Amino acid sequence: MTRYRFDDEDVVVIVGSGAGGGTLANELCQQGVKVVVLEAGRHHQPEDFVNDEWRSFKQLAWLDNRTTSGSFRVAKDFPNLPAWTCKTVGGTTVHWAGCCPRFMEHEFKSSTYYGGIDGVNALDWPISLADVEPYYDRAEKKMGITQTNGIPPMPANNNYKVFANGALRVGYKRFHSGRYAVNPIPRDGRPATNQDGFAFQGHKNRSKWSTLYTEIPKAEATGRLDLRPECHVTRIAHDDQGLVTGVVYVDGDGLEQFQRARLVSVAGNAIETARLLLNSASSQFPDGLANSSDQVGRNYMRHLTASTYAIFDKPVRMYRGETMAGHIEDEAPTDPSRGFVGGYYMQLLALGVPFLAAFVDPGAWGRDFTSIMDGYENMAGMWLVGEDMPQATNRVTLNHDELDQFGQPVPNVNFDDHPNDLAMREHAWTQSAALYDSVGAIRTIRTPPYPATHNIGTARMSERPEDGVVNKFGQAHDVPNLFVSDASQFTTGAAANPTLTIVALAIRQAEYIVDQLKTGSIPTGARAWDGRDPGGAVPEPEQVAATAAEPAGAGAD
Amino acid sequence: MHYQLSDGARETALRAARTMFPHDGFPDEAYEPVVRQVEAAADGDEAVARQIEEGIAGLDGSGSFAELDADAQLETLAKAEGTPFFELLKATAVVALYDQPLVWKLLGYEGAAAHLGGYLHRGFDDLDWLPDPPLVMSAEAGSHHQ
Repeated sequence: MTRYRFDDEDVVVIVGSGAGGGTLANELCQQGVKVVVLEAGRHHQPEDFVNDEWRSFKQLAWLDNRTTSGSFRVAKDFPNLPAWTCKTVGGTTVHWAGCCPRFMEHEFKSSTYYGGIDGVNALDWPISLADVEPYYDRAEKKMGITQTNGIPPMPANNNYKVFANGALRVGYKRFHSGRYAVNPIPRDGRPATNQDGFAFQGHKNRSKWSTLYTEIPKAEATGRLDLRPECHVTRIAHDDQGLVTGVVYVDGDGLEQFQRARLVSVAGNAIETARLLLNSASSQFPDGLANSSDQVGRNYMRHLTASTYAIFDKPVRMYRGETMAGHIEDEAPTDPSRGFVGGYYMQLLALGVPFLAAFVDPGAWGRDFTSIMDGYENMAGMWLVGEDMPQATNRVTLNHDELDQFGQPVPNVNFDDHPNDLAMREHAWTQSAALYDSVGAIRTIRTPPYPATHNIGTARMSERPEDGVVNKFGQAHDVPNLFVSDASQFTTGAAANPTLTIVALAIRQAEYIVDQLKTGSIPTGARAWDGRDPGGAVPEPEQVAATAAEPAGAGAD
Repeated sequence: MHYQLSDGARETALRAARTMFPHDGFPDEAYEPVVRQVEAAADGDEAVARQIEEGIAGLDGSGSFAELDADAQLETLAKAEGTPFFELLKATAVVALYDQPLVWKLLGYEGAAAHLGGYLHRGFDDLDWLPDPPLVMSAEAGSHHQ
């Protein structure tokens, strides 16, 4: 097992081990770069996962306190749980289902297509679809996406049969069983799906792509990855030149450590990524690290996120089989004649009884609610995922009134739905109900947005430093040896589930970083570091050097 | 010593949980975990214990909630909406009631499957009241969005 010294000046430190961090780590290790991954969560293995919604939630979810504000319904229904992401090695790739649409051309150009709408902080990406396409190809091959690279489509499960027959009857043309990151046949050393229906609970049989058992062990096999679970980064340190020198973290034994770095990548999922940059404020960067644009934490997007369930007079048993293996693309393009810009996908969705009760209509009680639950066996479901508008006031900030277990201000998520989001959601609910009605639904149910699984935009890419936080490679405009590698860097959210694009951009970013390191084009703060930190709170290097041989708490094995 | 409600208070809490989340096909036993979790919420927290006791006393009024007819139970419970006890009972019940194998079975949810080989050979695709739909997009629809 590879261990680097705390004062090693050559390591790249990556904060987070999910789709962005885990992929970047593997890509860098394969190219000879020394990498330390600091992951706040524990190192669970697939055999530890449980086919039980609430127990799994307690095992995998990021449950550190957060607060909410704004008019979105989640602030009332789940005031301390704005997002449903993971705190575990593998990050939210442990929880995701596997939906992998690519972005569409126009979705990189929100200013061009959506500009001028009141309240929309629109901006074109500094890259186009053509820039990302070669990396989509590589990401799809890496992840084993169905219907690409000769991989067959997912078979039709019961929920898909209802969904796709409804699609046919209402005249949709662009539907299929998903561009999906689950093996329908054995591939890449992982088996085919056993259709157990517990993708959100970690997918015990490993047929779903997750960095936990793909990118991370592949990176470890190079001998260049030092993976440290249960290490929560509290602060990124920098020198007088404004270059990053390393990170301060609290290890599994509760000890504060300092790891030097030539370069730091942040991939903590959009809420934590923004929080870490804001918590790394110093006298030199009083508004937070890499935040001269004042865009860190702003433009937070969480996607349309609604669901429709339908009850029939015959059994469906939606919980059997791959949870989201079915996509309808007909509503995905932008078409302002529908009364909103942007578009949405319809995707298969099933919940078990425990989560359906919690999410189908939060706060409801009485016979109307229980009659929904009584229809469980005859129920079909779909998720409605579409582009929400970037708004400057939808924002992650630090809540100084509430501190976490490390004494750090917790993040507050403020969110108001934009009128465009509301119009799109109304349209999506109506269309999905019509779809189910066409195959004989006796009742359809509109389920509101729940805690966000897609968290986007809090450190957005921009051509000009004044418009965003990072450049077209995810490199901070203000701090050249600081990168952002998760969906925080997305300029806008598109309609598509973000993971495929996170992975594609991480592959692209790794190529850039390796190239820049080879030519010495990225300055490093570590070599020049004189032990002082303008923001304070960093241990002296002599202190950390004394314990550097064996980082405490960096994995039990 | 864990916090325990009196027998009468437990009966009221159980009837209130039943009134709040009525499933005619469920035995009373299905609602027992709700009462236990309400008691657990008061463990070591006197303020919560007082809220629960006051809430139950409010439902009982001058008699016994359990002895009211169903319509009167619903009317009484609805009047308590928004009180701390009502909200505690609701938040507790929506988890505890639906997080037990007894209820899963009653609702037709089979739950854990990995230890049985998933549903691959146990009916993941056994729906037979609709035709088998296409798995891939028709050629006339063109290529995937990108």
